[in-house]
Amino acid sequence: MFQNRAEAFALVLPAAIFAAVVFLAPVLILLSEGFRSGDSWTIQAYIDFFSQSLNQTVFLRTLKLAALVTAASAVIGYAAAFAIVNLPPKGKGRITGLVVLPLMISPVARTYAWLVILGRTGFVNKALVAVGLSDEPIRFLFTETAVFIGLLQLFLPLMIISLISALENMPRDAVPAARVLGANWLQVFTKVILPLTKEGLVIGGTLVFTGSMTAYITPAILGGSKVLMLETLLYQRVTVANDFVSASVIALILIVMAFAANLLLKRLATARNKR
Amino acid sequence: MTNKLFSPIILLLVLAFLIGPFLIIIAASLSAGETLAFPPQGLSLRWVLKVFEVESFRASFGISMFLAIGGTLAALILGIPASYALSRYKVPGAETIRTIVSSPIIVPGIIVGLALLRYFVVPFNFGILFALFLAHTALILPYAVRVVSASLNNLRSDIEEAAVLLGSSRIGAFFRVVMPNIRGGILAAFILGFVTSFNQVPVSLFLSGPGVRTLPIDMLAYMEITYDPSVAALSALLAFMSLGIVFLAERFLGFSRYV
Amino acid sequence: MSDARFLCLEKLTLSYGKNVAVPEMDLDIGKGELVALLGPSGCGKTTTMRAIAGLMEPSSGKIILDNVDITRTPANKRPVGLVFQSYALFPHLNVYENVAFGLKLMGVRGKELDDKVQEGLRTVGLSKFATRKPAELSGGQQQRVSLARSMVMEPKVLLLDEPLSNLDARLRLEMRTELQRVQKESGVTMIFVTHDQVEALAMADRIIVMLDGHIEQIGTPEDIYNRPVSDFVADFVGFENVFALENGKLKTATGTVELSGTAPLDAKGLAWRPSMVSLGSGPFEGTIRGTSFAGGTREYLLDTPLGPIKAECDASLPAHEFGSVLKFDLPVSQAAPLSRVGSL
Repeated sequence: MFQNRAEAFALVLPAAIFAAVVFLAPVLILLSEGFRSGDSWTIQAYIDFFSQSLNQTVFLRTLKLAALVTAASAVIGYAAAFAIVNLPPKGKGRITGLVVLPLMISPVARTYAWLVILGRTGFVNKALVAVGLSDEPIRFLFTETAVFIGLLQLFLPLMIISLISALENMPRDAVPAARVLGANWLQVFTKVILPLTKEGLVIGGTLVFTGSMTAYITPAILGGSKVLMLETLLYQRVTVANDFVSASVIALILIVMAFAANLLLKRLATARNKR
Repeated sequence: MTNKLFSPIILLLVLAFLIGPFLIIIAASLSAGETLAFPPQGLSLRWVLKVFEVESFRASFGISMFLAIGGTLAALILGIPASYALSRYKVPGAETIRTIVSSPIIVPGIIVGLALLRYFVVPFNFGILFALFLAHTALILPYAVRVVSASLNNLRSDIEEAAVLLGSSRIGAFFRVVMPNIRGGILAAFILGFVTSFNQVPVSLFLSGPGVRTLPIDMLAYMEITYDPSVAALSALLAFMSLGIVFLAERFLGFSRYV
Repeated sequence: MSDARFLCLEKLTLSYGKNVAVPEMDLDIGKGELVALLGPSGCGKTTTMRAIAGLMEPSSGKIILDNVDITRTPANKRPVGLVFQSYALFPHLNVYENVAFGLKLMGVRGKELDDKVQEGLRTVGLSKFATRKPAELSGGQQQRVSLARSMVMEPKVLLLDEPLSNLDARLRLEMRTELQRVQKESGVTMIFVTHDQVEALAMADRIIVMLDGHIEQIGTPEDIYNRPVSDFVADFVGFENVFALENGKLKTATGTVELSGTAPLDAKGLAWRPSMVSLGSGPFEGTIRGTSFAGGTREYLLDTPLGPIKAECDASLPAHEFGSVLKFDLPVSQAAPLSRVGSL
């Protein structure tokens, strides 16, 4: 009953054509702008882009922050995931729910809170002055630290969820077995937990890294124009200077990163399912 | 053993870090004072009420709702037949088609918005709202296809054959026998799409114009002008709305099964 | 028209893409017959069944039912019912609604609908289960609902896909009797597909043995059981010692061996059941390489110059030892003559 190819195509084409026309085509054309100068194909735009120190700074900063957020989320994530996995079932469900909860809330709301907390008259500063650790309010906002904190809060749940899944798939007796054989906690972590959960780490890491690389709201609110990241730079170049070529270059960088990450995730997923 | 203390402390710190800010926003929005601060100076609902009075918030809320509901409906209208075809038939190039349809998830939204502005809105004079609608539909489509496909894959195809042999047409069989059994998946896809669309910012950055703004963009714009707690109040309200929807979905559907 | 040609397949060819599953099949089935399509998986029996139902379009050929050419008739318009191997009950509807489904589509309403559904449920003994959902039923019950659902449509032909294979041994016997009863009482022409020769032999009026898309043999259960026509059919129904003949001699892996008698002239092969092998005396000799006790009989596997031979004796006779050398005979008078070899 499901042999008719014409039927199948008729059903699938509207979605495919829609995606191709509304989405793929414009994006590909945009990307092609980064490779054109007049009528010829060239990578001059890329050379120009990377030879400007501002762009270099922004690019490296985005990479750096993404890497730092990923590393921090991995460390904290393991600790939290390990704690959660060892909870009794009821508690585990509730706490996991609380961890996932923020993901349902708009990034604007989640980032906004940091304005309140890190601002000059904000919570942290008030506390620091009150306790006497500082004579006057420290500027936290519009620094890389602020963006770091904002991104970490945004993406940590993703890492925790990935690691919980990985830890649950680890054989239950692996850790006790290692302890009985004399391993201390550091050795247990590096020799047992890490190897056995490394797929979850990679999955979580990829999600966090790509998310951080391609973030807009958090860098916009917490970094402003003082701490530009790739997407905020893109926005600025277009709105201020009508510079679509730079936009195209940045777009390609972002897409390549996201695409590579997605490919990696897919490879891992199929490798997992084969087992 | 240090382990016993370690766990609860870590969890407390992590949860405080993740959820604390949100609680702070709620508190800040209940402030009686003039500026955004925590702890709040006095308690009052004035800023929460103010949110409903701000004209542009009302307008952009309407736009965000329209995009979320309309975009999700459109994504489902396109996505359900596509999922059906991909899961029931042997479609040549199925993998390629799946990739094309899922691609919006991979590309950062800001690029989509820019590309649509440049190649649809400007040259062809597409309305901004229409372009936004197309963009949101494209963004939700991958989720729709993925979730509905999962439901379809769990449903045997022989009940459709049985329905046909009992006298039903193919389309009749789809509506009488397939739809009722994938209803949960469709609803889950709808909710997922709605929440994703409503909270989406980057796509709408370039596709905003006079009178056409999504709510998050409007909030960002407002924040640049005024520093009062109404944005906090609005954030809190929206968060509760999202959470409420997801909570109800979990309660009545077992939402997490489908996602 | 004679009742014997109620359902006719004429030169029916069924393919999956370039792969021809069933080439040019001719088959006549009589009205009110209970027929089995029997064969190993991949033989084309299920494909043929689906073609009759209309779930598969033939590449060429005709299907004629009650004198009407239904080859191009869409599945939902054919007066054919199908009980799926998985029963295919609609999970979101209860038993009553499942059974009423087809009737409602025909526009049957009100009291007439209720009467028919209740009657259907009564026939399969599930009147008390009307409000249950499929998930709350056992496998056997689900099958009966599926049967009732098809039967209330009063089909001209009822097809069943491996009706007994998902059931446990005791249910199988129950269901078998049930199906026969329903068929005899209603008089519906019933065709079931199975790979189990015991089922086919027990239930069918006529058996159609299939292999690789062809019909190997058609006959009554007695015909198939006692007079297999080819080496494949013989092996399928339990003749474990099957030989081709060459110049009147038994063909073995290493050459030919003289028979202890004369084979029928037109026989291309001979087959013996284990019980037909006479152990103890005879022109052949073999070593016992395996023994097993099967309650009423004892089975022996012998290593012989003819190849492995399976023999069976009454359990009351003294047992032969593992490794002992025995004489045995393959009496030609007992053998089933085969007119076709080479399919094994």
